[in-house]
Amino acid sequence: MKRKIILGLALYSVVFTLAGFYVIHTIRTATADLDRLITLHQVEILREHYLLQIKKVQSDLTLMETPHSREFDTVVKNVMNMGRIIDTCFDCHHTPRGMERLNNLKAQTGRYQDALSRVLTIRANARRFAAEEDAAFRTGEELITQVRDMIAITTSRLGESTQKAMDEIERTKYILFGLVMLGPLVSAALGLLFITGLTRPLKVLLESTRKLKNGDLDHRVPELRDEFGEVGASFNEMSISLKEQMRKMHRAEQMAVVGQLAAGLAHEVKNPMAGIKVAVSVLAGEEYIAAEDKGVLQKVIGEVTRLEGLMKDFLNFARPQKSRFEPVNLNHVLNTTLTFYLKAHSIGGKNETTRIERDFQEIPQIMADTSQLQQVFLNLFLNAVEAMPQGGTLAVHTRLEEGSDRVRIEVSDTGKGIREGLLGKVFEPFFTTKAKGTGLGLAISRQLIEQHGGTIGVESRAGEGTRFTIRLPVTGKEEAPA
Amino acid sequence: MLVIGLIPEQNIFKQLERYEPLARYVAGKTGTKIELKLLPRYGNIIDNFQSSGLDGAFFGSFTYSLAHAKLGVEVLARPMSLDNTSTYHGLIFVRKDSGIRNARGMKGKRFAFVDKATTAGYLLPLGYFHDNGIPDYKTYLKETYFAGTHEDVVYDVLNRKADVGAAKNTVYQRLAKADPRIPGELVVLTRSPDVPENGLAFRKDIDPSLRSRVRDALLSMDRDPDGKKVLEQFGAKRFIETTNADYAVVLKYVEDLHLNLANYDYKND
Repeated sequence: MKRKIILGLALYSVVFTLAGFYVIHTIRTATADLDRLITLHQVEILREHYLLQIKKVQSDLTLMETPHSREFDTVVKNVMNMGRIIDTCFDCHHTPRGMERLNNLKAQTGRYQDALSRVLTIRANARRFAAEEDAAFRTGEELITQVRDMIAITTSRLGESTQKAMDEIERTKYILFGLVMLGPLVSAALGLLFITGLTRPLKVLLESTRKLKNGDLDHRVPELRDEFGEVGASFNEMSISLKEQMRKMHRAEQMAVVGQLAAGLAHEVKNPMAGIKVAVSVLAGEEYIAAEDKGVLQKVIGEVTRLEGLMKDFLNFARPQKSRFEPVNLNHVLNTTLTFYLKAHSIGGKNETTRIERDFQEIPQIMADTSQLQQVFLNLFLNAVEAMPQGGTLAVHTRLEEGSDRVRIEVSDTGKGIREGLLGKVFEPFFTTKAKGTGLGLAISRQLIEQHGGTIGVESRAGEGTRFTIRLPVTGKEEAPA
Repeated sequence: MLVIGLIPEQNIFKQLERYEPLARYVAGKTGTKIELKLLPRYGNIIDNFQSSGLDGAFFGSFTYSLAHAKLGVEVLARPMSLDNTSTYHGLIFVRKDSGIRNARGMKGKRFAFVDKATTAGYLLPLGYFHDNGIPDYKTYLKETYFAGTHEDVVYDVLNRKADVGAAKNTVYQRLAKADPRIPGELVVLTRSPDVPENGLAFRKDIDPSLRSRVRDALLSMDRDPDGKKVLEQFGAKRFIETTNADYAVVLKYVEDLHLNLANYDYKND
């Protein structure tokens, strides 16, 4: 938008500068036309003046040797003025043709002056004097004819030039009127265009803000251009984030309620269960109890023990233990936990169908709580092995993610996998696909990983297997647990 | 202000144009306004000197001699031409095809003088007729007239308006340079002795300091860049100091013709 505004302003400036130059050029042209016209009229006046002066000299000549003859000095002055006028004509610019005519005129003027000089100075008999006077007069008349012809030609051209110049001035007038009227309209149109360009996306953003305020977190800002597009995209990201935070808060609230209920229930159930367990144990130790009944009692004791474990899980989930961070060699923790798990469950022997694949790449130590991580890994191993009742491959990989300060742990199996519709629910508490599962294992695992500032995700394909991916920061907890 | 008269040596308007730059230059150097006054005839300068309020004039050699004798004017300077001469002489010429080769051939012909107050244009032919035993040219010739300028005399003979003409050599030669018909078609029969070129003379009661300033301005023109340009335009190399002694040759000529300057009738008939 900034670029567009700059471009728009530049365009606006260029348009108005060009218009300004055009106006100046037009005015200059019109002024030049007027100047030319004035000059042409001045030339016309000069020619008329010249003609008048010749006529005056002719009159002087005619009156010579009569009672009305003018003073010699006056005649000389008139003749000299006539010569000066024609000389003035040479000060102006002329076309070659015009210059030729002017030269002819000057030559004829010279001949006239010669003849006049002769008449003024000669002293001879009447016949000779009359002949000279007549010759001078005829030369003067020829000059007058020549000047008149010139005036006739130039008058016609002057008329054309005047009309042309006037037409040009008229055209200039209309152009200037047009520009004066068009200028504000163009300004208003450009202004409107800029204002619309600014206000329309602002209006869209304002509308989106209002919808967000009214709780419509699914509303998304439609695609906008330029910087407004970036603002819109940020707005949409904010909506998505807000929705996620709202979901987390909602879940946290749910979990708090469930946790409180579970804790209260566990606390209430724990003591009676302990009493039942002790009582049944005592009963099972009595000699009068038949051996087959003792077996039943032992099963009761086993179920009570399982219930105690379940109660413990509830409490752990509801009131999670605080993490004690220390430098941890993650590969070592994983290896130890896996070995322990395999031994404890007698997995990996010669006759086992479950294959174990370890791929531990070199990773730096991280800040973590070892026991909590062991709990998470054990849970994942357990789920993996249980997902492969017919055997398969349990693979554990670690690596340092390129370009980030995180380590990645992948635990995958080649088991039955999770159906697509259920994949999003596996981390929800009390969700389980097992007959005897509590639905808290993965929920607690995610809780612990998030306590470490990490993330846990799952990918699965039904019938092909499941892969859990944990990402943990090298430097320790990055964010508060959800 | 100084009023300076000009005699019609050539086309009077060209004459005026020729002298105007010189007048402007001298006016600038002396701080005195100068007005040029054109005179239609040589003799007018004698008549009009006082009535027209002239302070000075560029006189021809004979006109100066007359004016000095009648009015007491005093010469101070005259131009030296580009070929280093400060004198001129008169010529009598005819068309080559006229068949006229001497005074006898002129009998019954038309003669064009310049003015009665000119050395070249009148005194020379007067002396010529005198020397050839023709006491009255008016009866000897068919027609005589005064063309008024040396230039007109040359062209009148060239254009067959007159059969014989008399004019000064400087004008004749200047015209001959511009018009090849003149050397090609005209032939000079005789010439007069050299006389001083037209010089500037002032009335006798002129302010001596003004006279001195004008003289200095004229005599130093050739050493001043602006003055040089004006001289070039005027057609002269420089101005030289001139005194009455320079006109002795004219006076001798007048004496030989038995003319009396004091009562000489300079008016053209």
